[in-house]
Amino acid sequence: MFRPFADWLAATGLSQLLQNELWVVPTSQSIHIICVCMVFTSALMINLRLLGVWSASRTISELTGALLPWMWGGLVVLLLTGTVQTVAEPVREFVAPMFWAKLIMVVIVTVMTAGFAGKVRSNAARWDAAGPRPNGARAFATGSTLLWVAIIVCGRFIGYTSALYT
Amino acid sequence: MSLDQLLHTLQDLPLAAAVRGDMPGTEWVFPIIETLHVLALTLVFGSIAMVDLRLLGWSSRGVSGARLIRETLPWTWTAWICAALTGSLLFLSKAVAYGGNFEFRMKFVCMALAAVNMLIFHCGPYRRIGDWDMGRPPAAARLAGAVSMGLWIAIIFLGRWVGFST
Repeated sequence: MFRPFADWLAATGLSQLLQNELWVVPTSQSIHIICVCMVFTSALMINLRLLGVWSASRTISELTGALLPWMWGGLVVLLLTGTVQTVAEPVREFVAPMFWAKLIMVVIVTVMTAGFAGKVRSNAARWDAAGPRPNGARAFATGSTLLWVAIIVCGRFIGYTSALYT
Repeated sequence: MSLDQLLHTLQDLPLAAAVRGDMPGTEWVFPIIETLHVLALTLVFGSIAMVDLRLLGWSSRGVSGARLIRETLPWTWTAWICAALTGSLLFLSKAVAYGGNFEFRMKFVCMALAAVNMLIFHCGPYRRIGDWDMGRPPAAARLAGAVSMGLWIAIIFLGRWVGFST
């Protein structure tokens, strides 16, 4: 179903331009990896802090206040570089189930994180209190960590599995 | 034994053949180890970047530098050991090609420089961290942060390029 669109996209002038400039894809991928580092490390630090595994001296609201802006900025650059890579190699991406699984998980984890950020902002005192965390904090932290790991695994495996579907 | 002979000996190990996927049932070993390498390196770079950005004064302002370094360093070293182990396995699989690869060699030059930079920082401005812990780091510390950030960005780019040039 997506194959005709991918073939059309691959034949466009823009895609041809990106394909013919051999440095574009590796450069975009390198920037993509650097942003994955920022986003994943930030998410993991917040999540392990929520789970009480990592006893950082900073409170939850201090940690999210410092790290979330880097996560959002990183996500924007990930979207841009991901788009460059998809336009340059549309067939490789669109035929791979891993690509679609990754996209769906990115949407889910982004919505989850935005919801979490809103809750912490609106009630920082409760999140920073020493007592038990608000309901759903552990579920969010576990779910978010697993989703990010799965997203990275899927991202790496797009390159290894798309040949199976073309 | 010359370096070339050593690389051939390493590459001929049964372990190297298994990572390469040359043995029955090992087709997915290389992609799996590479994915683990990516997961580990995201935390290496992410945790180093957090400290570097604090040293540069771009992030975590108002957070104790000494505390941030103390709390982040175990992450960096744990992840670095995982990246080094998985990286060694990947290297074995094509030791001759990697050993002669320009980007691969440059990656290790950059890592050696990053180690030297770290030692200079720990023997220099870090000793006097009490003087600048909550404020703006001195020029020597800012320089260490900038050099570290530049080198690790180069390491990510070079690592990605190795995959395209071997």
